[in-house]
Amino acid sequence: MAETTSIVLALPKGRILGELRPLLDQAGIRPEAAFDDPDSRQLRFRTDDPHLHLIRVRSFDVATFIAFGAADLGVVGSDVLMEFDYPEVYAPVDLNLGRCRMAVAEPAELVAEDDPESWSHVRVATKYPRVTTRHFAERGVQAECIRLSGAIELAPAMGLCQRLVDLVSSGATLKANGLTEVETIAHISARLAVNRTAWKTRPAPVSRWVERFREVTGAAEA
Amino acid sequence: MVQRTLLPAGMADVLPPQADHEAATVRRLMAGFASYGYEAVKPPLMEFEDRLLAGAGAALAPQAFRLMDPISQRMLALRPDVTMQVARIATERLNRRPRPLRLAYAGQVVHVNGTATRSARQVGQVGAELIGVGPPDADAEVIVMAAGVLADLGIGSVTVDLGIPTLVPALLAGESLDPALRRRLRTALDRKDAGEVVGLVRPQLGAGRAALLARLVALAGPAETVLDALMRLDLPPAAASERAALAAVAATARALASALGHPAIQIGIDPVENRGFEYHTGVTFALFAEGVAAELGRGGRYHAGTLGAGEPATGVTLFLDVVLASLPPPAEGPRRVFVPVESGPEMAAQLRRDGWIAIAALAPAADATAEARRLGCSHVALAGAVRPVEPADPLPSHNPTEFLQEGHH
Repeated sequence: MAETTSIVLALPKGRILGELRPLLDQAGIRPEAAFDDPDSRQLRFRTDDPHLHLIRVRSFDVATFIAFGAADLGVVGSDVLMEFDYPEVYAPVDLNLGRCRMAVAEPAELVAEDDPESWSHVRVATKYPRVTTRHFAERGVQAECIRLSGAIELAPAMGLCQRLVDLVSSGATLKANGLTEVETIAHISARLAVNRTAWKTRPAPVSRWVERFREVTGAAEA
Repeated sequence: MVQRTLLPAGMADVLPPQADHEAATVRRLMAGFASYGYEAVKPPLMEFEDRLLAGAGAALAPQAFRLMDPISQRMLALRPDVTMQVARIATERLNRRPRPLRLAYAGQVVHVNGTATRSARQVGQVGAELIGVGPPDADAEVIVMAAGVLADLGIGSVTVDLGIPTLVPALLAGESLDPALRRRLRTALDRKDAGEVVGLVRPQLGAGRAALLARLVALAGPAETVLDALMRLDLPPAAASERAALAAVAATARALASALGHPAIQIGIDPVENRGFEYHTGVTFALFAEGVAAELGRGGRYHAGTLGAGEPATGVTLFLDVVLASLPPPAEGPRRVFVPVESGPEMAAQLRRDGWIAIAALAPAADATAEARRLGCSHVALAGAVRPVEPADPLPSHNPTEFLQEGHH
């Protein structure tokens, strides 16, 4: 049933897309030429499978497109899933891409004299206000989040706040800005995400794609 | 430009013709339930907080608006759900009625917060409760009735997804997992993240238990493809009995659906599904339609009444906003005829008896046909005869027919 209606796969722009591209090949997804053309303004792409379409959106928006059912499948970082926690989104496959960690960082000179035990209130610059609030609340600390969408590492130096929560991979950006990682909140990687209703009402095509991604990432199912 | 009234977030006016469509849909759903013997009850909008949110209702407490009752000086809660009220009526007021007791309701509920994907805070619900009998036949009746009533409304391809939120707790009963780990495991199960489930469980409970949980996550799909594999899993006795309950309801519901002439209803299985089933004690279900991003309704087995007393029950709640969004546009209603002053009230009365919507002129009109068109009528009654009116131009924008043309997306 419903093999005829097409599946929409949402892919994130930017960093992860480069790592993801070989995986798409292995999964047998061959997008039209415009997909690989950096000058193309196109956001929706056909593939050689008439029942599979691709869309390219900001990585934070992939989860939203899937939650509302505008996309059936998507590739989304576990950081974004933690921040939004949509009950309509499943994340069955760890794609093992874009590995990094979400961490708390602060200026190196603060680390020496800082005693986290005595915190009752902290001000934190972050892209992830909900994860940050939850993280500090679990140990009884009130976090006042300053929501930024980029250049988070600049915030302490410019006097916005002393601490930040952001993704860290090599730590080079932190170091260059005189910051030290003090705490890891979670290990992050890209996941294949699925809209709940799509999985329930079109189990055959959806689970076929899930299985294919599972195979090419070598994720053992148990 | 008129200054418009702003309503509170998540509250909305429903206008013609959608309000009529909504009322007609409620009537059809209630008639469907009534045809199975479910009798309507009408609980109040608010009750004492400590009573409404006691027992199984406690799970809904975070969603309830409260206010103080100036008469009793006690806290009241606006109902976030009707099922618990119907259970109260069944166990306290209708406790001497013979069982099984079949009750239905239609009403509005309010929630403190909408969800990220559905911002409405006031939602219409239509539901049915079957009280006083255990599984599996009662569950099958409610499930197939709900799916069938939706199919009869014109919603094609209804999928029923069966779950058993008591299975995973039964599997982990007696294991000493720390609460934080339990929470992370619940999140991983909710996201169907088998890799994460294995990573969390293996260090604590060993590879065998981890593999079993991962297998349960993977065994979500159409009943005909996953049920056999689920039955073959080697489960501890408590978990096996939960699985048996799920399998029994799945088999009974499938047989009943085909006996009742609803073979198109798809039955799916999801052994780890948990979200939205806070007070349930057995087999649960969610209703989906293809292409509609939200659940049409959900329900399942719960305990009616206080713990220790009370009785087994199962039921279904349909979410009217999602049901309406899934429906095809309404069939053409009765035709509207304009009755000018000279045709008289007797003519209007006769037309109404004949099934027309007859709109009487309140003042003489120079051009009865133009006036009929202005009022969105398809016909005009002139000189004892009913004549069709040419449809109005799409302009001007104040033409009331615009609503008729724009309705139902």
